[in-house]
Parts: sequence; C-alpha cells; structure tokens
Amino acid sequence: MSDSSDDGARPKSGVSRRGFLKGVGLGSVAIPAAGLLGGSVVLAEEAPPKPSGPKVFTGEIPIKLRINGKDHDLKVEPRTTLLNALRDRLDLTGSKLVCDRGTCGACSVIMDGLLVTSCMVLAIDAQGKEITTIEGLASGDKLDPIQAAFIEFDALQCGFCTPGLIMATKSLLKTNPHPTREEMQDALSGNICRCGTYDHIFAAIEKVAGGARG
Amino acid sequence: MTEKTVRVGFSGDSKELKINPPDTSPPAWDLDSKLAVVGTNVPRVDGPDKVTGRAKYTYDINLPGMLYGRILRSPHAAAIVKSVDTAAAMKMPGVKALVFAFDESKIGEKKLRYAGDEILAIAADSPERADDAVRAVKIEYDPQPFVVDLDDAMKADAPIVNDGKSNVRGKNPRGDAAAVDAKLAGSSKKIEATFRTQVQTHSALETHGLVVAPDGDGIKVWASTQGVFSVRDGLSSNLGLKAEQVRVISTFVGGGFGAKFGPGVEGVLCTKLARQANAPVKLMLTRKEEHLAVGNRPNSLQKVKLGADSTGKLTAISATTFGTGGVGGGAGCTIPAIYNLNRDATYKAESDVFTNAGSSAAMRAPGHPQGIFAMEQSMDMLAYELGLDPLEFRMLNDDNPVRRAQFNLGAKEIGWPNRPKVAGGGKADGPLKRGMGVAGTLWYAGGGKDAKADVEIGKGGEVTVYQGAQDIGTGFKTVLAILVAEELGLKPEDITVRAADSRFPYGPGSGGSTTTPTVAPAVHAAAYAAKRKLFEALATTWQVKPDDISAKDGKVFVASDPSKSLPFKKACAALTADKVTGSADREANYDGYRGNTAGCQFAEVEVDTETGVVRVLRVVAVQDAGRIINKLCSESQISGGVIQGLSYALFEDRIMDKSAGKMVNANFMEYKIAGPKDCPEIKSIVLDVANGRNSVGAMGLGEAPVIPTAAAIANAIYNAIGVRIFELPMTPDKIIAALARKEGAKTA
Amino acid sequence: MSSLPVFDYVNATSPAEAMGQLGAGWSEAALYAGGVDLLDLMKERLYEPKKLVNIKTAPSLKYIKVENGEVRIGPLVTLAEIAAHPELQKSHPALARAAGKAATPQIRNLATIGGNLCQRPRCWYFRSEDFPCMRKGGEKCFAKEGENRYHAIFTEGEPCVIVHPSAAGVALVAFGAQLKIASSSGERTVDIEKFFVRPKDNVRRENVLGPKDLITEIVIPASAAGMASAYIKIREKQSYDWPLADVAVVAKLSGANVEACRIVLGSAAPVPHRATEAEEFLKGKPLNEENAARAGELAVKDASPLEQNAYKVPLFKTVVRRTLLALKETKAS
Ligand SMILES: Cc1cc2nc3c(=O)[nH]c(=O)nc-3n(C[C@H](O)[C@H](O)[C@H](O)COP(=O)(O)OP(=O)(O)OC[C@H]3O[C@@H](n4cnc5c(N)ncnc54)[C@H](O)[C@@H]3O)c2cc1C
Ligand code: FES
Ligand code: FES
Repeated sequence: MSDSSDDGARPKSGVSRRGFLKGVGLGSVAIPAAGLLGGSVVLAEEAPPKPSGPKVFTGEIPIKLRINGKDHDLKVEPRTTLLNALRDRLDLTGSKLVCDRGTCGACSVIMDGLLVTSCMVLAIDAQGKEITTIEGLASGDKLDPIQAAFIEFDALQCGFCTPGLIMATKSLLKTNPHPTREEMQDALSGNICRCGTYDHIFAAIEKVAGGARG
Repeated sequence: MTEKTVRVGFSGDSKELKINPPDTSPPAWDLDSKLAVVGTNVPRVDGPDKVTGRAKYTYDINLPGMLYGRILRSPHAAAIVKSVDTAAAMKMPGVKALVFAFDESKIGEKKLRYAGDEILAIAADSPERADDAVRAVKIEYDPQPFVVDLDDAMKADAPIVNDGKSNVRGKNPRGDAAAVDAKLAGSSKKIEATFRTQVQTHSALETHGLVVAPDGDGIKVWASTQGVFSVRDGLSSNLGLKAEQVRVISTFVGGGFGAKFGPGVEGVLCTKLARQANAPVKLMLTRKEEHLAVGNRPNSLQKVKLGADSTGKLTAISATTFGTGGVGGGAGCTIPAIYNLNRDATYKAESDVFTNAGSSAAMRAPGHPQGIFAMEQSMDMLAYELGLDPLEFRMLNDDNPVRRAQFNLGAKEIGWPNRPKVAGGGKADGPLKRGMGVAGTLWYAGGGKDAKADVEIGKGGEVTVYQGAQDIGTGFKTVLAILVAEELGLKPEDITVRAADSRFPYGPGSGGSTTTPTVAPAVHAAAYAAKRKLFEALATTWQVKPDDISAKDGKVFVASDPSKSLPFKKACAALTADKVTGSADREANYDGYRGNTAGCQFAEVEVDTETGVVRVLRVVAVQDAGRIINKLCSESQISGGVIQGLSYALFEDRIMDKSAGKMVNANFMEYKIAGPKDCPEIKSIVLDVANGRNSVGAMGLGEAPVIPTAAAIANAIYNAIGVRIFELPMTPDKIIAALARKEGAKTA
Repeated sequence: MSSLPVFDYVNATSPAEAMGQLGAGWSEAALYAGGVDLLDLMKERLYEPKKLVNIKTAPSLKYIKVENGEVRIGPLVTLAEIAAHPELQKSHPALARAAGKAATPQIRNLATIGGNLCQRPRCWYFRSEDFPCMRKGGEKCFAKEGENRYHAIFTEGEPCVIVHPSAAGVALVAFGAQLKIASSSGERTVDIEKFFVRPKDNVRRENVLGPKDLITEIVIPASAAGMASAYIKIREKQSYDWPLADVAVVAKLSGANVEACRIVLGSAAPVPHRATEAEEFLKGKPLNEENAARAGELAVKDASPLEQNAYKVPLFKTVVRRTLLALKETKAS
C-alpha cells in the first residue's frame, strides 16, 4: 500500500462536525417521474464521456425499472437505493425502511427470482431486472394465498415487518413448496418482527403448504 | 339507576356482584352471558391493507411539495455548545428551514447531556440534502465530564449528570428494614442474591416521526404514535394553538411498546420546520436515533432477600434496587408484586441513578420484567433451598385463584413432572441439557373513564363506529368492530371502523394495557344507544314497544311475533332520518372480580454446556385479560410478548462504551433482536375471566405477557445445568463463565 | 434514513475495463460487486469513493468450474450460489457450509465471494462514525480497553484487535486456496494466507490489495480434492448472527488416521487463524475424541484474550474438537 492516508476509511474527530460534502450537484428541483413528491432530484450534469471506456453516470440520470410487470421511467442519482426509488419516487411504499443496513428484511423484494434487501441495492443497478414488490402479489382484490393465510392466522400485528416477511415466504415457497419448520426458520431468518409474530407466520405457511412435513 | 346483579369470575371461582349502572347503559355482559362474536377468532379488519402494502403508515405519507427534516444531535456524552455556525448549511441547495431544539440565546452555556441530545433540525427538499445540510453545520463543543455506567454513577466522585449533589435519587423506602431483617434472621430458610438486568430499547420497526402540514391557521399531522390525542394536546399547547387547530391522524402505526406518547422533541421540531417553511415536512428518525434518544427500559441492580418458614410459607421479602434511565428516571423495579405479605414483612427501596444516556420511557410493563426476573428467580432459589418443587412452593404462597388455576393448566401443558428433579441432573444428550422453569406475573389493566364513542346506523344499513384512539398492532380496530357487531347482531365485517383520528371521539393513549378496557365499554354503550334508536323507529312501524325488539344473527325481530322480523339492512329503512347516532361516555369502573390480572409462563430450554448457547424449546403462557374479545389477536399478543421477553432474556443489550460515553451497537446488527430461528414452540392460553369491572368485562393484555418470560427461562436454565444466571442477557459468555465457576468450586 | 454520499457510477463489462476505471488512491474509485459491504460503509460515511465501478456487468468473472479436482471460482459468484452448488456441497462441504451459514438469505443472494474476502471488519468501533479509531487513522484502538466481547483472542503484539469478518476466508484458508489478482501491471497469484494482513503489519487495511487491484479468480488446488472437510459456526442468536467462533478443518484421512490437516479459526484473530501446532499434533494420529480434544487445547494455547472475551478460549477448544470429529461425517465423496 502506497498511501496510508488515503486508505478509504476516514478518521473522524470526536470534537467538531465534519466539513462539507463535495460534489452535490447544483440546480433547481425538478419534478420527478410520478410528479407527486418533492423528491431528491439534482438536475443532470452531463459528464463528458471519457474518450474511450464505458459511460460514467453522474448527477441525475434517467433509468427504467421493471416492477411488478410494468416498466417505470424515473430519474435518480447513482446514490439512490432501490428502496428509496420505490418509496419516494414511485410511491410504492409497501416495502419498508427499517434498519437501512440489510439486517431486518423489511425492504425485501424479489429481483430476478431472488430475495434481496432493496436498501442494499442501488436503483441504477436494478435496471433490466424483473422486480416484484409486495404490491405485486395480489391480483386486483384477489390476495395471494400467502397473504390470505397471514390474515387468517393473524401472522401480523403492527404490520410493519409484514410485507418483508410475506416476500420472504413467497421466495421460500417458490423453491420449496412444503418446507419443514426448520426450513421456514432458515428461510425467514433475515427478517425481524418486533411484535413477535413468528409462530403465527409458521402456522400460516403450513396452511399454504398444505400441512408441513415435519 | 337500578341495582343489578351480575356473576363474575371464571369457571374455577365466581361470585355475585351488585352494580349500579345508569339506566341508559347496556346490560352488562357477565359470566353467564352467551355471546356470538365476542371471544371468537376474528381476523383483523385491517389485515388486507397490511398484507398488500396498501396500508399507509406515517413513514409512507408522501405529499406534494413535502420537505424532509433531519435532526442534528450531540456527538458527546456531555458538552457545552460553545458556538454554532449554520451559514454554510443554510446555503446548501434545497435547504428551506432550520430550527433550534433549545433557546438560541443559550448558545455558549447550553449543556448537552448525552450523545444523541437534540441541537437543531433542518428541512430540505430531499432526505439526502437534509442529511448533507446537517453535516455541514459547524459546532464548537466544550466537552464535559460524564458517566454512563450505573455503578460508576453511584460513586461519590462521579460527575453529576443532572442537578444536585448526587446521581442517586430516591430510595423511597417502604417498610421497616430492621423488622424485616429480624424476620429473615428468624426464618428457617433464606436466600440472598443480587440480580442485574440490561438496558433494552423499544426498537419499534417504524421509527418515531411525523409528517406535519400547515392547514389553514392550524396543522394537519400524521404521527407514528401511541397517543393521537396526546400528540394533539402536546403540539397545540407547545404552539399556542387551540386543540381543534391540530388534527392528528395515525391510521397505521408500526409498533410503539411504550416509547411513543406525545409529540416528542422531534414532533415539536418538525412542526416548527413546517411552519417556518410553510410546507409539509416529514421527519422520521433513523434507526440510530431510535436507539439513542427516544426511550428505553432502564437497567437494574437488585439486591433481594427472601425467607420462609419450615412449612414453605414466605416470612419476609426485602428488595433494594437501583437502575438508570439515563438522564431520566423511572428505573424502579416491581418487587414484590405477586406474593403479598404483611407490611411488616416487606421492605423495599428503589432508587433512580442518573447517567449521561438517553432518557428512559415507559416500556411494555415498566419495571416488571426486571423485578420479576429477580423475584421469581429468588422464589426458585428458596424452593430448592427448602427442597420443594418450585411450582408447589409458589402454590403455597399464592392466594390468587386465577393464577393457581393457570399454574395447573400450564404445568399440564408443558409436562412439568417430566423436568429434572435435581437441577442439572436431567438426561443429557452429550453436552445438551434440558430443563424447565416457571414464573408468575400480575398486571393492573382495568382501564378508566377517559373515552367516548359514536356508533352510526344509516338508513341503508351501514354501520360505522368512530373512535379516535390508535391501533398500534394490538388489534384495537378489530375490537371495535366486534363489540358493535355483537350488540347489533351482525358480523364484524359488516362494521366500518373509523379510528385513529383526533377528529373522532376521544380515546386514551395505548399505555398500561388500558386502551381496550377503557374504550370497549363506551363503544358497547354507543352501539346499544344506536340500537335503541333503531328499535324506537321500528317500534312505531311495528306498533310494539322498543323493549320487545331484538337484534341477532343479522335480523331484527320481535320474539313473540314471527311475522315481525326483518334482515338488519331492511329494518334500517324504518329510520326516518338518513342515519342515527348513538354516543356514549365511558362510565366509572364497577368493583369487579379483581383489580388485577394474573398470568404465568413455563419454559423448556436446552443448554449446550460446552458453548453456552441456550435454545428455548417451548413456552407455555397462560394469561388472564378479563373477558377476551378477540381470541385470535389475544393469542397473538401473548406469543408476541413471549418472543419479546425471550429476546430480552437472551440477546438484547444497549452497550455503552464507558470511556467515550457512546453506544457502540446503535443498529440492528449488534443490537440483537430474536428472529424466526430463535422462536420456540409457543402455546398461548387465554383464560377467560368475566371481570365485571365494566359492562364488557374486559381487562388489558398488551403488557403482561412480556413480564415473566426472562424469569421462566432463567429458572429453566438453572433446572437444566444447575447453575444460576443472575444477569441479563443470558449470553453464552455468562453461561460458560458460570459453569466454569461451578467446576472450579467442585474441584476446589 | 442515512443517505449515501454522492458518487459517479460506471458499468464495466470486463476486468480490463474495470481496472481502467480505478485510480491511484482508494478515494478515487471502488469496485462495486454485491455492494453489501460498500453501501454499509458509505451510509455510515466511513468511505466516500468518488466513483463506483460495477463489475457485475463483467460476465467473465462469474463461474464455478471443477476440473480434475481443481476448483476455480469467479469472484462474482454469490454466497448463495456457493452454498447451493451440489458438487461443492459434496467435494468441499466446509466452503459450502461457511457460505451458507453466513449472513441472511437476502444478503447471501447479493454478497459475492470476492467482496466477502475484501469486506472490512465488523468491529463496532470501526463501523461507527462516532469512534475515530486507529484503523480509520485515529490514535487508539477503542476495543482493547473497551467493549471487546466479540474481539480477537490472539492479540499478542497487535495494535488493533479486530477479528476478520470473512466466513469464506476461513474455509478458503483451510483449503489452501490461491487468489489471482490482476492490476494494470499484470496478474499475480497470492496464497490466501498471504492475502490477509495483520494489524501489526498494516493497521489500515486487512489485505494486500492496492486500490488498482482486482481479484479475478479463486482457485482451490487439486491437492485438496478428496480431502474431508468440515465447518462449524457458533453464534449467540440462531437467526443470522456473526460467529462467536467458527472453525474450518480440511484433512487428508487414511483410514482412521489423520495424514495431514489444516485447522483454521475464524473470529479469533485479525486474520483467519491457523492452528499449526494442533495440525502438527494430529499428523499420523487417529481421529478420536481424545486427540480432537487435545488439538482443541493446542489450538488456543497461545491465546491472550481481552477483558471480556476469555470465554472464547474454552469455546474454541470445543469448536475445534467438534469440527474435527465432524470430519468423519462429512468425508468427501
Ligand atoms: C446482515 C448481514 C449479516 C452478515 N453476516 C455475515 C457473516 O455471518 N459472515 C460473513 O462472512 N459475512 C457476513 N456479512 C457480510 C457480507 O457477507 C459481505 O458484506 C459481503 O460478502 C460482501 O460482498 P459484496 O459482493 O457485497 O461486496 P462489496 O460490498 O461489493 O465489496 C466489498 C469490498 O470488496 C471490494 N471488492 C469486491 N469485489 C472485488 C474483487 N473482485 N476484487 C477486488 N476487490 C473487490 C470492493 O471494492 C469493496 O471494497 C453480513 C452482512 C450483512 C448485511
Ligand atoms: S431496511 Fe433493508 S434490511 Fe432493514
Ligand atoms: S408485526 Fe409489528 S414488527 Fe412484525
């Protein structure tokens, strides 16, 4: 390592607040895609593309996300997470922001068939992927059987963790339609419910799976 | 008023009671009432909204032109704010408002008392920009001495956290220490032990926060709160507005557990930002702020002495406790709670100790899990000392018929006779050892007078109940639907529930497990009043007396005349007005069967004696909550309490670095909350008790189920491995150390 | 909640293209794989690279190839893919299990093995912007005298007492893996044990990578084929949790005897820690309860635990013993 002062992790003085952040784009606020929110939008500063090499995205950029079978055009900064894009730009607020660090599962969505925490995915990186959120499970008024079973077995209290846990259940049952209790526990172990609904959730899953194996 | 007689209690113990309700009151439901909907399994009315993601919590409110607030907090455990330079921050793009959390003229002398103390708040047009702006504020601090550790704070030379000469406040002693000590000395067996419990944070998944929108000369507020009306009153008095100028809505709340009463500092700051910017502002706290600044369950240090005579009767209880709720108080522990000895046999002294940490807030059964952890382990110790079965010892000393019945129910369910009779002597599967433990509890949850309700019946048969209080996940909205459905002979899904809005009739905060017992009688009475109005209209049509009419199974009819019967909807056509409204106030409580509720829990654990890892295999929880209104949601409350209690027992711990005075695990990675794989098999048993303290007979249920879990698990661990763990959380390091001490003692 | 700092973003379609985007200092650009560790550090404002270079758009970096006993893994393979790989589960169970026991289902779907090896430590002082610790250029290691229940027990001479966080690293050290590292100046192969660096050698980084380096392949040599392997992780909380102790063992067994073995302790030291004395002891000895227990004791002989983590010493004794005995059940087929 050549330069130990530029090591990537910055020391912080305990005494005064840090200085300015560099690089916040200037410009007035644009009305974002859905036109509803005073979103966090910085007008594009077109970066001059390097003579050769791939395109560098900077400032606000237009992206396309495929969510619940529908394409959405929106503008985000590279730093916008998929979760923030869903919640603040597209008003798809079913996915919840709880820990912001991949530790609670409340923001879980299914992306190209895989369960992921959308707080740990950049929106720009989710382009071209098939994304399913909690809003995409029911068709019209017809609930997904998992959703119906969650209601029937009261597998929810305050309900804030519920969308994430339903997505995790969806992902489990897709690959393992008849899970054992332990398989359920493993598959849901990236999700936290503070109200303590786990045992009711297991009962709901058993119902959907048509009785557990063990 | 006419005197009436009701029968109250439960199958194992009942009595007759005279009550004097006003004539307008509905007939009280007692032990003999046959109810159609109340007590059955009713799915939550807001289930479909919650499972589809449609439910809009405060965090989900997005308004046109909305700004985002962010609070700047003290990075120091104690410091004077010497200067604040906001110029750069205010010049940042998108910044629209800035307000101080204290009187700005006090800059230079203002003392911040904990890492996380509020300094100021900024609103900007995106969350990112608000964040950036807060980081651009320059503050000069003069760091001050601080103390964050309970034991350190009690030392004579500790830095003083609040005012006064010492950080220790209280010792409000109750009882005569010398007399109790004499009784202990004369006891045939006695034990003495010191227990410690940790600080727990509420950690509701939806953080504290609000959206405040200017609305004419007032404001419209969405709040993640347990107290719609306390937020209204808090904000209106703070801003000098009339209560009607503040409208608070909390249709969905992502958990509270005691930390979300009143607007909080963040609520006042958010409102000031919105008024300064004249735009809606959303201010939701981060997970880290949630751990640092908006409440916690205080820790405890409890010294307990218990004695018993040779027959196993308790002779004396002595408890001296300390705890820190940070810069706030409220660190008392509830000992003794269950076993009532004479005054001269009980000594208790509780002290609060101040430290430079975020203030405590009531947390699900404040004081009780701590106190019961110490008290119910002490009971266990004394039982083993006496050579008695711990359950038998409790039965000898517990005179509450409800809990005695619960002990029997629970013991049967868990298979109590199968536990190892000698602690640590059970059959082992290699290093894995199993054991069982029990702990009892009580709670006071009769509710009080503060609630009103309206029930409206429309000409087309629509029924709507209006009640302003919030549903923080307890199933309160569903309770409203059930009560109205019962009274009108309908199904819960026939009722529209309008709740959690300060424009609706007054309701209490969700605290002390009182929401249901406070509101239910008012709703019952309002439904009864609305029904009477419908009956009066029908009586004219049918030429009968209103008293001859009944409503049941979706029909309204005259029992003595089969020709006079209509489906509910058709019957409503008899109304002359578009709708009728029944309104009612909550009456004062009757004497009732008992003033408190009883509960107990049994746990079976498996301890890996080599790694110290504890797995809870099964918990049986038996709980009384008066009359059960919704069996399904009641069982949820109980198992939820068990899981939270287990999490407290084994994992959760707010860890402070003593030298820096800051929390090291203010996240969900290292502040560990029980997950699905830690969840045992849970059997929740609700023991229905017609309590008779009000016309419905309901008591509350929110808090009690969290109380005895840690104690039951601790007792089970002792039963499994023959070593007692005196400190929470009961993590592998403590188990390994305790087992090593036992080995050491054996070989020494 | 806490927003990310501003950065530019590039999709690289090949290793060469990725390397072309990197700068001379860490703050100029960062390789972005699963992003799990990166975004975490950036949200906490511990790291603010000006540019993220996405390498998930480089398909040539994602594969698992097993040929003649040699396993070659592209750095973009996720932990979930390794855990579920039927062949690895049989031939290299310690690696499949280490990957499968790490993190959560959601995170395993995002986290790459390359990123897992390069992730920064989980020491809570390092991870919080409130503590200007030595690893961030500050003056002291807060953990040494502070809250250190989860920290290292092999601390002799170390200025900082982190434990290395990578579960994959523990297994890969046991397998004697090699890493291929490319930079603009060419490609080199590094023995994985030499990849990790101790605080006493460099307290600011956990491995030898420079800001222009890219791991292009992880190779488990054919010599490891046919060996038995096992991995055990002990955690406080059974739903996801970092290990209190984890151990990987790879052994060549002949009949009941251990011909040779490698024993690696995770969450014990600032790097995956080899218990060489225990390895030596077992050579030529039967794999039985007594010898496994003795190996466990030898494995922690040189431990110098901190104030709050003495419990890890008996714990590792147990886990080493159990992992050795588990070899019998997980013998490669
Ligand atoms: C809730 C939770 C629990 C966790 N539990 C565990 C656990 O139990 N065990 C465990 O091991 N981990 C655990 N982790 C950590 C997780 O496994 C790592 O963060 C993840 O593996 C990092 O991989 P990534 O692809 O996301 O890396 P990134 O975040 O993309 O990258 C991490 C670092 O590696 C660099 N990098 C990435 N790829 C390369 C490459 N090919 N060449 C050179 N440099 C590269 C990046 O520049 C960056 O500096 C947990 C994480 C979370 C959120
Ligand atoms: S908010 Fe994404 S995992 Fe918690
Ligand atoms: S239902 Fe409240 S957090 Fe799960």
